[in-house]
Parts: sequence; structure tokens; C-alpha cells
Amino acid sequence: MALIELSDINKTYNNGQPLHVLKGIDLHIERGEFISIMGASGSGKSTLLNILGILDNYDTGTYMLDGKLIKNLSEKQAADYRNRLIGFIFQSFNLIGFKTAVENVELPLYYQGVPRKKRHELAMEYLDKMGLTPWAQHFPNEMSGGQKQRVAIARALITRPQIILADEPTGALDSKTSVEVMQLLKQLNKEDGITIIVVTHEGGVANETNKIIHIKDGLIGKIEENTKHEAWQGSAMK
Amino acid sequence: MKWFDTDTFREILDSILRNRSRSLLTGFGVFWGIFMLMLLIGGGQGLKQILMNEFDGFAQNTCIVFAGNTSKPYKGFKKGRSWNMNYDDVDRLKHLVPELETVTPSVSLWGKSVMRGETVSSSAVVKGHRADYARIETPQLRYGRYLNDADIAQERKVCVIGKKVYNELFPEGGDPCGERIKVDGTYYSVVGVDWHEGNGININGSASETVTIPISLARKAYNMGNTVHMICFTAKEGIVMNDITPRVREIIARAHYIHPEDEQAMFLLNTQLIFGIINNLFNGVNFLIWLIGLGTLLAGVIGVSNIMMVSVKERTTEIGIRRAIGATPRQILGQIIAESTVLTLVAGMGGIVFSVLILHGVELGMTTDGILKAPFQVPFGTAVLTASLLTVLGVVAGLMPASRAMQIKPVDAMRDE
Repeated sequence: MALIELSDINKTYNNGQPLHVLKGIDLHIERGEFISIMGASGSGKSTLLNILGILDNYDTGTYMLDGKLIKNLSEKQAADYRNRLIGFIFQSFNLIGFKTAVENVELPLYYQGVPRKKRHELAMEYLDKMGLTPWAQHFPNEMSGGQKQRVAIARALITRPQIILADEPTGALDSKTSVEVMQLLKQLNKEDGITIIVVTHEGGVANETNKIIHIKDGLIGKIEENTKHEAWQGSAMK
Repeated sequence: MKWFDTDTFREILDSILRNRSRSLLTGFGVFWGIFMLMLLIGGGQGLKQILMNEFDGFAQNTCIVFAGNTSKPYKGFKKGRSWNMNYDDVDRLKHLVPELETVTPSVSLWGKSVMRGETVSSSAVVKGHRADYARIETPQLRYGRYLNDADIAQERKVCVIGKKVYNELFPEGGDPCGERIKVDGTYYSVVGVDWHEGNGININGSASETVTIPISLARKAYNMGNTVHMICFTAKEGIVMNDITPRVREIIARAHYIHPEDEQAMFLLNTQLIFGIINNLFNGVNFLIWLIGLGTLLAGVIGVSNIMMVSVKERTTEIGIRRAIGATPRQILGQIIAESTVLTLVAGMGGIVFSVLILHGVELGMTTDGILKAPFQVPFGTAVLTASLLTVLGVVAGLMPASRAMQIKPVDAMRDE
């Protein structure tokens, strides 16, 4: 059974004029895949990601995540699934400004009710993995973009999620750090077998993943198996 | 999530302490509100006490009668006649008005100088009293005792002196009992010093400038015959003085052929009336204090609610992130309410402590000779009551912002860029 099974997902926004964003998405994602979703802005890729991340509801269709039907969940259940199954990486990092790096990483465990000492140890371990041990006590505004994104990745990883959802993870980074972050994700996928879904509009970023899903006007265009992995030096070199 | 565990508390504390200026601004309204309320309560109470001190030592249901010139002709007498009360009036009142508790006569002689050896005091008042006068104006004996019944019966040459007289005649201090002082050629031995000042109601001059001697002695020493200058009486408990004063007036008037409605011929000073006025005044003041204080406090709490509201708006992203990584709406609700409560409580406690300190300072300033003139401090019970009121207000203040925070969807965090 696939980790993610989407069948005929429809989503309409009703802000004034109804906007049919997703027009029947069918998608199967297996455990351990490294996928990118590409599309122009307004194609519905972010909406799809929000639905995948249980941040948003869909109107019709079914979404099975790890064998569970994700539909009309209570806020509490949704929060629990997000906490345990999914890790998020955002374009703008979304770290909490008044918390240090290690506290940001700890936060998901706080909502799981993990004792302070244990979650601190765990967070330090993950920061160490990201090579950020010396920065543990620093606040986000004292760190570079790449460092912030690595803190965000550590935060996403700490709950040992099934899936990592990354929304334009390199969107706010320069080309060099973009490459570093993508390398990191690649490594996580390869070594830890974590399923990673990256939403991007950059060909170079998508090229780093193993499968590229093109989305156009709310429908899946083509699915491209990508095994070549041309050497990528970041968007600047494109 | 448990309702209280140190972890949750630290999370709340972190978010308060690390947004210091926001928290300070939020808390200040409440701090000021509580501070003002406490200060007003303490101040009002102290002022009331100061005013009450002026009447200190006076039985609250006392009435004093003294004679004036008649202003109405009656039974063949012209108006403008002067008259005096006498000892028979005391007996009449005692027998005919059963509602009266104590009825005691008083005579006074003004402008006497008191001598002790070569030391001469400034002008003093010699008053003749019975022992039961102590029930009208309670003496605060620094040394010795007050007059007793035996002093009166045996016409002993003893006296109780006031504070000022004592200070002038005994500048070296110490217990003067047994010492002799001289007034108008007669020696009296001091048996007590009355420290009571009675600066508000002065019956026949300040209590501190008084030399009190047995009335039986005063009568003979100054050849006063049957004359009484004043009659003081107290009513039994539960009796309203106003209800019996007309009868008192009537009884005395009839004996002296005075027109029963001649108010100028007989002055009646009713302390119950005065105390009633003061009490009413301070009830009004108290009402205002609570109105103003609670109003200020309420404004402060609304301020907290308002700023929390803004801060929730400002923290949309933060709350969105928290939601995205697994916080339930309930946890967000709890956090905002808890933040508001902690802020309100801490600010409020600060206000209480600060006002208590200020009031303590005022009390220190009001203390002379180690004796506190009036307590300005807020009663402990009031402080506890206010603190619990604060908790409730804190929760209430947090409700609106919290419910708004609960509406924040995790997607909003990303949209808010």
C-alpha cells in the first residue's frame, strides 16, 4: 500500500468568486520516494501541498495517508497527525523569533508532551546532525538563511515523521546554500529513507529529486522519472 | 495537556519574558489600576481614621447640654435671662429618662495657671468631674490613674493633668504621681497623666491643657454652690439619641421656667449626629474610591485584552507555525489565556506590593513617638480579594484574544508572509 493515495481530489476556494483550484488529482506516492511537484504559480501546487500536509481541507475525493483516511478530521486529530506523521519545511523558514534554535527544534516535541530534558537532548542531537551545535543557543535573527533552514529541517525531523513536506525550501536562499539544503534532503532520503515531497518552481531544484510531478491548471500533467541528476550548481548557474 | 505543569508554565513565561516591551506595556494598565485602587482604599481609610481620631475617646452616643441666655419670654420672665443648671438636673435626668446610661455633671474654670514650685504653666483649665466622666471622654492614662469615686466622696485634693500641662511642669519627664502642684493657692497631688489630646471635640478647652479635680472639691474651692456648667450623658445601647433629646430638653426647661422651644437657652451637642455625618461622608468617599479604582482597573484589563488582541494578530505566523507542527486549538487557547492571566496577575501583584510599600511609607511618616496616628495599610483580606479578582479578570481579558487566536489556521502562517 502506498504511503499517500490521492484519488480525485477537488478543491474550490470560495473567496468571492469561486475558484476551482484542484480539478481531480490522482496521485500515489510510495514510502521512501523523493518527489518534487512543479508548476507555475496559480497551478495549485501549494494547495496540493496544504492538503497533503493536512493544513487545508478538500471538497471531494479521498486522501489516504499511511492507511488512514484524512477527511473531516477534528482539529485535534489533524494536529496530532501533523505532529506525528508530517514534517514541514517552509520557504521563509517560519522559525519562532523569540526562541533559540534548539527551542525551535524542541517545539514539536513540546506539543507531544515529551519531558523538557529529553526533548532538549533530542533536539541537540538533531542540530548536531545539521552541524549546528555551536548555534544551538542563537536566535533565528542571528543566523544565516542556510542555517535557519537547517534548523527548520531539524525541527521537521525531530518527530521522526513519515513524510517531509517542503514548500519552496530554497526560495529564500542563495544558490550555494540552495545546493547545500538540497544535498541535505537528498541525503535524508537516501540514508534514512524518509519520504520527501518538495514543491518548487525551479527546474534545478526539481532536478535533484527522483520523480518530478508537473501540475498544470489543477491537474497533474506528466510524471517524469528523473534518474539522471545532472550536476546542479544552483539556480544561478542554470 | 495538564492544566498546570512547569513545562507549560515555562513556555508561557518564555513568551512573556522574551517579548518584554510588549508585556510591559500590556501589564502597565493593570499595574496602575490596582495601584490606584489600593492607594485610594488605604488613603481613604487612613483619612477617615485621622478624622475619627479628632473625636477619639468620645463615646459615640454622647450628648452634652449647657446653658445659654434665654431667647424667649416665658412665664413672666423676660428674654435674655441667664441661668444655670444644677445638680438636681442631673438627678432628674437620671430618674426620668431611663434610656440614659451615664449622666454626669461638669464644672470648669478657665485661665488658671498651674504651678509646681517655681515652674508656672501657661493657661490651663481646671475641670471638676466625677469618676464616671471617664465614660464620656475616655482618658488615655500615661501614668497613674483617673479620679475614682472615693476621691469625689472624700473631696481629696488630687488631680489628673493633661499632656501639655505635664510637659510644661515636668520637662524632665518621668512619673509625676505623688508630686504636688498648685492652682489658686490650693495644692493638689497628681494621681495621673491623661495623654489623650481630643483635638477635635474640645469640651471646655483641649484635654491636654486640663487639670481635672474631683467635682465636689471644685464646688467648694471655688464657691460654686449648686451650679453645674455642663451635663454630659450617654444613651444606653441601641437608643437613638435624637429620640430622647426632646425629653431631656423638656425636663430641664420645666424646672428652670424656660420656654420648651427655646433652643438658644439650652445647647444640646449630640455627637451621634456628628458621627453619623462623618460616617455618611466616608461611605460616600468609599463608594467613589471603589468606583474610580474599579473603573481604572477595568480600563487596565480592557487594555490587556486589547493589546493581547493586537499581539495575537501580530503573532499570526507564530501561532500558525505552532499549529502546523502539532498544537491543537485548545493548546493555543490555553496558552493565550494563561499568558493573559499571568501578565495580569504579575502586574497586579506588582501594583499591590508597590501600593503597600507607599502606604507603609505614609504610615512611617504618620508615626510619632512610636504611636501610629492612623492605619493607612490596606487590610490583608482586601488584598487577597483583589488578587483573586485579578485572576478572574485576567482570564476574562484573555478570552477574546484567545478565541481569535484559535481561529488562526496553520495555512495563515504561510500566507502571512
